[in-house]
Amino acid sequence: MSPKSILAVLAFIILAIGILMASSVLVSLLHDGKDLVPLALSSGASIVAGGALWFVLRKHRNEVGIRDGFVIVSLGWVAASLFGCLPFVLSGAIPSFTDAFFETMSGFTTTGATILTDIEDLPYGILYWRSLTQWIGGLGIILLSVAILPLLGVGGMQLFKAEVPGVTVEKITPRISQTARILWLVYVLLTLLQTLLLLWAGLPLFDAVCHAFTTVSTGGFSTKNASIAYYESPAVEIIIIIFMFLAGVNFTLHYRALKGEFTSYLRDGEFKFYVLLIVGVTVLVFFGIPTLTSSELGWQIRAGLFQVVSIVTTTGYVTADYELWVPAVQLLLLLMMLSGACAGSTAGGIKLVRVIVLLKNGLNQMKALLHPRAVIPVRHNGRTVGQDIIVDVLAFLVLYITLFALATIVMSATGLDMVSAAGSVAATIGNIGPGLGSVGAIDNYAHVPDFGKWVLTFCMLTGRLELFTVLVLFTPSFWRR
Amino acid sequence: MRIIIVGAGEVGFHLAKILSQERHDIIVIDKNPLSAERVNDSLDVMVIEGSGSELKTLQRAEASDADMLIAVTTVDEVNFTACMLAGKLGVKKKIIRVNDPHFLADPKGPSPEDFGIDLVIYPEGLAAQEIVRLIRRSAATEVLEFADGRIQLIGIRLDQESSLINKKLKDIVSTYQNLPFRAVAIFRGIRTIIPTGDEVFKKGDQVFVISKTEMVQEMLRLAGKESQRLEKIMILGGSGIGRRVAEQLEDEISIKLLESGKEASSELADALRKTMVIQGEGKDLDLLATEGIIDMDAYIAVTKDEEDNIISCLMAKHLGVKKTIAHVEKLDYLPLANTIGIDALVNKKLSAANAILKFIRKGEIVSVATLHGVDAEVIEMIAQKGSTVTKKPLRAVDFPEGAIIGCVIHNGSVEIPVGATQIKPQDRVVVFTLPKAIRDVEKFFS
Repeated sequence: MSPKSILAVLAFIILAIGILMASSVLVSLLHDGKDLVPLALSSGASIVAGGALWFVLRKHRNEVGIRDGFVIVSLGWVAASLFGCLPFVLSGAIPSFTDAFFETMSGFTTTGATILTDIEDLPYGILYWRSLTQWIGGLGIILLSVAILPLLGVGGMQLFKAEVPGVTVEKITPRISQTARILWLVYVLLTLLQTLLLLWAGLPLFDAVCHAFTTVSTGGFSTKNASIAYYESPAVEIIIIIFMFLAGVNFTLHYRALKGEFTSYLRDGEFKFYVLLIVGVTVLVFFGIPTLTSSELGWQIRAGLFQVVSIVTTTGYVTADYELWVPAVQLLLLLMMLSGACAGSTAGGIKLVRVIVLLKNGLNQMKALLHPRAVIPVRHNGRTVGQDIIVDVLAFLVLYITLFALATIVMSATGLDMVSAAGSVAATIGNIGPGLGSVGAIDNYAHVPDFGKWVLTFCMLTGRLELFTVLVLFTPSFWRR
Repeated sequence: MRIIIVGAGEVGFHLAKILSQERHDIIVIDKNPLSAERVNDSLDVMVIEGSGSELKTLQRAEASDADMLIAVTTVDEVNFTACMLAGKLGVKKKIIRVNDPHFLADPKGPSPEDFGIDLVIYPEGLAAQEIVRLIRRSAATEVLEFADGRIQLIGIRLDQESSLINKKLKDIVSTYQNLPFRAVAIFRGIRTIIPTGDEVFKKGDQVFVISKTEMVQEMLRLAGKESQRLEKIMILGGSGIGRRVAEQLEDEISIKLLESGKEASSELADALRKTMVIQGEGKDLDLLATEGIIDMDAYIAVTKDEEDNIISCLMAKHLGVKKTIAHVEKLDYLPLANTIGIDALVNKKLSAANAILKFIRKGEIVSVATLHGVDAEVIEMIAQKGSTVTKKPLRAVDFPEGAIIGCVIHNGSVEIPVGATQIKPQDRVVVFTLPKAIRDVEKFFS
């Protein structure tokens, strides 16, 4: 492991963050310009710091080994958040460093948990940057770097594997940088399409762009205190439901559809499971929403569907206060927070493909009890899932539940009640955003003690990078040669 | 180019590595999950787990968009089927590796071209050719030809007798003005050095020199290597490689061929007219002594067991045989040749991969990219107009560390560069470089 070559990649990431941040300076100029100076300062500082370091170290391009991959990806996200939180601190929008770092990490990891009590009070440039962090983090900071920095070459695969969610990572083209570029292309197309549709539905350009950013990344930051409920527009809600849904699908399938193979959606077991899950849970939720009058039937269906899709894709937008719904439905939503959507999408959580493998494996074990000598493979998409992958998935689940349980205990210890503690951890590990209890749909994380915020920040990063990448850094054998 | 490689064994892996570094788009197919994973973990290529002889695997690899398919599994029939299917899917170029020399080789039967196959690679035959070349140019450890044979790259081991030892490269160059040569690499211990003028030669160095073919004899004499004709050689192992070497050399050299199998040896005796076939074990020292190993000019060990080959070569060396050549299966063993004192290690898989690379780069003059056991590449560049390298004579160009210009082809004539050589736009330049310097070299030419 060579510290200099790791630092070189980190420098590049900081530089890229700085350049992207510069676009918010432009937004500020076009609007009130109140936050012009802090944004320009932050962007300039990132560009200068990242650029200078990159210039000095650009010659250090050793191949990225297995260990380096984990270090680069984990530190890359931390570095991005450190520089990304500068605008919040410098503009005074979020004076506390802890809060600003929490908010930025929540942005990059597309969690969408906020410590802000009055979002609409923020200047435009800052609001735009807050949405942009989610858009950058949605597909991945490293994936972006790999797409524009082809020289990562072979090592790119190590980074790719450490960042992209899923059990097995599939390359859709021979070169890792091409794959990264194609995924970003799909992502940009989805964003453009949604922006246009939201404009058509009557949103101002600023709102349309910011919400498109945070929908396709399944982030969930809104520019309004009341989230999507603010617009009271069925059209807007339906557009957002559709794009949340699309963002929760494996991007490889979108790529194949772009190439004309539309049937690849229907041939994918995970996609089918995803659709059935959403439909099934929506029906259950429908009966759990306290019925008002028959004239609100349409609203009820829409609110139910919106909330289910928002939670399962780990976006975290709200159009209704689901904490008013019956407890059984709330628990169902908590389960969905854990499961998440498809692998290879921008969604968080455990990912449905793992759920499918675990369920099938469980059923097979029962069959094996009856036929002790039978060979019963776990099949997914027509192919046998190897024993090593099943073990990997089981290990992931155990770690996920352990982290969930431990973090919940710690959060209760900081003074949160039990439901809020569990809700906050589920919502941050799964990158959803709003949890349950005092951090629920219409609340925020401002009241959580500082220590608790750091714990949740750690949960967000660990959850976004699918546990192993971050947790492996804390094992003794990682540091032993 | 988009290239599909079927089979991720040593040949496939090596090809995928080199070709992906040359910015080709590579898709590797292998049905063994472990091999597939190894490629996926270490190379920037796409890997598909499945059989290359199945249509659906090739379709998953999007073979219809591919420019070339290289089938290099160990099963001839799988390779053949993969080529046939690729042809149906519209792949233009097909390369097949065969392990049975008779496969597609019947002069009366259909030729490979009839099946749309562009190149047939028989690794054992190629390894045999390499051994034959080494025997004919006995003083060198390695012989490669460039530019239709007008230029040779030779490897020379510096022993005690060499007058070059402890001399600086630039002093040697100034002493022998009339003998244009270019020392492009020194292999010392396990390190590959791209020498500068101040490099001092040491005893035991393996030096790679590029020179015009007619100058090579002179070059060898300078290095203290009288290129004597070999008159008697002994070959251990009569399968594929050993048999081919005997067939090609038996008219010029007296050959004794040791083969342990009883039936195999009578079959060999039947097929080879002049070679003396002896049935026995290579480890049988008495037998070797009886057959006069001490008088042999060269000893070639090419049995299936690589450890046996190495040990018996060491034994022959110990008994005083001047030149020993062993065949090894593992690529990892190649750099050992220098350390253990065997003159040359040959690997049929590397020979096969090199032959395929040569075919892919057809039209370029670089014929071989990788030397046996040396961590360096030979790449060819065309100097672009206005590029750094064309601006000044060579001695004033701050060429990247770890790279050196081997020869320059200007208007079709070959030139061994000296300090005053001025490279002009559109010249083709052969550069010898360590892998880490390739990117910097490219910048100089563009």
